[in-house]
Amino acid sequence: MFRGAYSIWGRDMLVLRRSILSELLAVMAYPLTLYLAFGVGLKGYIADVGGIPYPVFIAPGLISMTAVNAAFDESAWSMWFHRKVQRTIEEYRVTPITVYDIVIGKIFSGFSQGAIKGVAVAVVIFFMTPFRFQFSYLLFYLAYIVLGSMIFSCLGTICGTLIDKPENIGRVQAVVIVPLIFMAGIFFPLSAYPTAILPFIKALPTTAMFEGARQALVYGVFALNYIVTLVITAAVTFALAVVTFNRKMSE
Amino acid sequence: MRTAISLKGITKDYGSLTAVADFSLDVERESIFGLLGPNGAGKTTLIKILTTLMRPTSGDALVEGYSVLNAAKQVRRLIGVVPQANNLDRYLTARENLILHARLHGMSPKEYNPRIDELLELIGLASRQRDFPDIFSGGMQRRLVVARALLHNPRVLFLDEPTTGLDPQSRRAVWEYIQSLRSKMTIFLTTHYMEEADSLCDRIVIMDEGKALVDGSAAQLKEAVAHSHIYEIEFKGNADHYEGLLRSMPFVESLERNRDSFRVALKDEKDLKPFMEKIVGADIKRIFLKEPTLEDVFIELTGRNIRE
Ligand SMILES: Nc1ncnc2c1ncn2[C@@H]1O[C@H](COP(=O)(O)OP(=O)(O)OP(=O)(O)O)[C@@H](O)[C@H]1O
Ligand SMILES: [Mg+2]
Repeated sequence: MFRGAYSIWGRDMLVLRRSILSELLAVMAYPLTLYLAFGVGLKGYIADVGGIPYPVFIAPGLISMTAVNAAFDESAWSMWFHRKVQRTIEEYRVTPITVYDIVIGKIFSGFSQGAIKGVAVAVVIFFMTPFRFQFSYLLFYLAYIVLGSMIFSCLGTICGTLIDKPENIGRVQAVVIVPLIFMAGIFFPLSAYPTAILPFIKALPTTAMFEGARQALVYGVFALNYIVTLVITAAVTFALAVVTFNRKMSE
Repeated sequence: MRTAISLKGITKDYGSLTAVADFSLDVERESIFGLLGPNGAGKTTLIKILTTLMRPTSGDALVEGYSVLNAAKQVRRLIGVVPQANNLDRYLTARENLILHARLHGMSPKEYNPRIDELLELIGLASRQRDFPDIFSGGMQRRLVVARALLHNPRVLFLDEPTTGLDPQSRRAVWEYIQSLRSKMTIFLTTHYMEEADSLCDRIVIMDEGKALVDGSAAQLKEAVAHSHIYEIEFKGNADHYEGLLRSMPFVESLERNRDSFRVALKDEKDLKPFMEKIVGADIKRIFLKEPTLEDVFIELTGRNIRE
């Protein structure tokens, strides 16, 4: 069981290994630009947030954002590419593996991309931040990267499975993914929201992902409610991705 | 007959379009079977159903006794597939493409490495195995796809238009290769080319609009039209006049015109004499008897050309 998933994941990792340097360079550019623009450029204008220097306040969110974006990108585009362009999915499907092998292999590929790229950006940002995080905090934080990458990889897989036109994948990213991430308070504390809408914001899985990550890394708080939200979201999106792919393939 | 593939009333609808209509067929083991038909006939749809990529709307098919509906995984264990469009992975080298396929078939490196060496040698790509297939010519890519389909020693090989788009030389190479597999496995191929079906296949079914129209060996099919005598006549000019003349002859069964030349099918051998008498004195550039091709069979049996 899952030998096929492992082989497909292995293929994706082999391809990633070949271009890892340029991939990392490309993926660092965006969060580092944001980090420099907001963390350094605005530093003088923004007072500490709740006693935390602004660059430290935004660092965990930028790292998580890199991870989940990379996971979504990889899963959505790779699924679309292998399905519609290269049609390699058809080649996989005439071998004695199941559609579950294929979709699970692909979800883990997206997850791995997210986790690897998130950690890479983390290393660079930690290096640039004059603030040392405690090792045990980092472990808590890792749980958020792992869960976040998993959820966004599943979401990406669903998009790459359902959407045939590439421009529509871009639209989903712009209209759904980016707002979900930015509303979760990467650049500002959640207390900035009017109290009327705060409960809705707090219910977003992305809030659990980003606010939880910040609490873990900066304060060492292991927020169980956030983790539970994320575990449930991951389980649901995983099941949805598998079912969606299975449905699409038996059309 | 020992049956390798058995289709039982396969129907496939795409919305209101019926691509395959109540198709039944038995293919003998270790034979080369050719499914011939124009664009949109339903060939690829049938192959997709037989290779478990698509479920039929109704009916079932057995491959080596396993149902494509209920035992799809067992079917996939036994088949090799060369799809109509090459689906190589352009981010993997030629060899890595083969390795991934072997792994998906559960082969160990000990099993697949010697087999891959052998196949790469056979298709003449041993020296290019570290290259990525997107820089290969169409013929090289096709050979690699064929090698991939054979890697796990399938019992049934499906080839969807194996030589479409290849130059004559590459086409011949693929043909020779398919010939060399004869009697080692069952081969099910589709093609547009009469010549291809004629030279490779033990048995040919011509299909169009989802239905089988003709069934037999190349020799049998030609025999079927042997009685209809087909001549090609080219005139030096005045073709419009001659067209009228030819059309007025009651024993001309069918007539096709291409500029100044005509393809004339007579109803019977004995019609040749009155035919010659009528065109005596015409400005004939050349006239010759045509050996019936499968294309003629098709025209004969369906009343129209194979659309290319
Ligand atoms: N996914 C699909 N959705 C709707 N119609 C389809 C689909 N695939 C094929 N068809 C239609 O079904 C019919 C049969 O198509 P099919 O691809 O099986 O033909 P074919 O014999 O392989 O043709 P070709 O020689 O061009 O490859 C065609 O009319 C085609 O337009
Ligand atoms: Mg086809």
